Amino acid sequence: MLKGTTLRLLALYTCAVLLGLASAWLWVTRVGMSGVDAGQWRVNLLAGSTRADAYTRARIAIFALLALDRRETLYYTTDRDDDDATLRAECTYSVALRPPAARWWSITAYAADGFLFPDKAHRYSVSGENAQVDADGRARFLIAPQSSPAGVDARIATSGTGGMRLTLRLYQPDDSLQRAPQTLDPPRIKKDGRCVS
Amino acid sequence: MNAWRHFLTAIGVLLVTHALTVWALPRVIMWRVMTVASAETSVAGTFLPPPTDHTARRIVMPSPDLLYATCSFSLRDGPVRVSFDGHYPRYWSIALYADNSDNFFVTGDRNATDQPRQWLVSTANQAASAVDRVAERRITAPSDRVFLLMRLLVNDDPTVLADAERARHSLRCTRTAES
Repeated sequence: MLKGTTLRLLALYTCAVLLGLASAWLWVTRVGMSGVDAGQWRVNLLAGSTRADAYTRARIAIFALLALDRRETLYYTTDRDDDDATLRAECTYSVALRPPAARWWSITAYAADGFLFPDKAHRYSVSGENAQVDADGRARFLIAPQSSPAGVDARIATSGTGGMRLTLRLYQPDDSLQRAPQTLDPPRIKKDGRCVS
Repeated sequence: MNAWRHFLTAIGVLLVTHALTVWALPRVIMWRVMTVASAETSVAGTFLPPPTDHTARRIVMPSPDLLYATCSFSLRDGPVRVSFDGHYPRYWSIALYADNSDNFFVTGDRNATDQPRQWLVSTANQAASAVDRVAERRITAPSDRVFLLMRLLVNDDPTVLADAERARHSLRCTRTAES
């Protein structure tokens, strides 16, 4: 039978291990990704880089595994609209952006779990290939729940409820943007109408 | 005095556990990805997943605008030759990742225009030996296990999809004869 002192020591070291595990997990998953901001959008310049620190590497592995180095691709992400409110899958948003200085760009919506929203019509993203640019040089489109009235016209269809994250991918960004990613004219995200319940 | 010693040791255990967890997370995730990919590879050493849609739930944040091909290989038994003979007129890239998830090499249609496109992937020790006899670029991997991800830009046009399919089928990840 273990003595009381041994049991107390066992409990102490078990707690230390559990706290070490929990603090690492919370630090990696709850503390926001560091990076450079352009409006509500943030880009981590060490994503995929061999120079990434341990925390960045762990966060990238969980939230954006197999990211490319910044020289090949810049990944801007946001989970907030222009009014600083959290993006919600059950709400409609209008997005407007000036096509960024890159060989190719796309905006994709992801559910809170990091995966695409189910949509039989495969309306997952808008890219430089299929975006229609207005006379003022901006591409405009709706992100809306499939079940909402706006869902018919949406270029990106969401479903369910909960948080949502948008990723703007810039493949082979121009040198100027690589050097100063904060100079990106950030895509505008405005909540449009009411959310479905 | 003894209690203080145990308390300080416990703090040390906490810190070490924290650091080890942060260090291990990307390696464990990559190990899982590479192990699953290895089990599904073809004779050419590649895995060609279906076009990305909402059912793609293996790796977070998949791009629906890209068609992928992957290779997962170990360099313990010798270097691996990667070749891609396909012609694809749109964006494509081949990226190599170490077992800690670092992207240590990337090439694509802009800087790999000459045919045939061949790369020899080896460890630092293997790179010192004369394993390659043909003209090809040699890439030194920072880890024994390597994951290759090829990306091809596609859209809904069936012709584009067919071109991309043909192109990714020409990807090869094969052990060199010298190993």
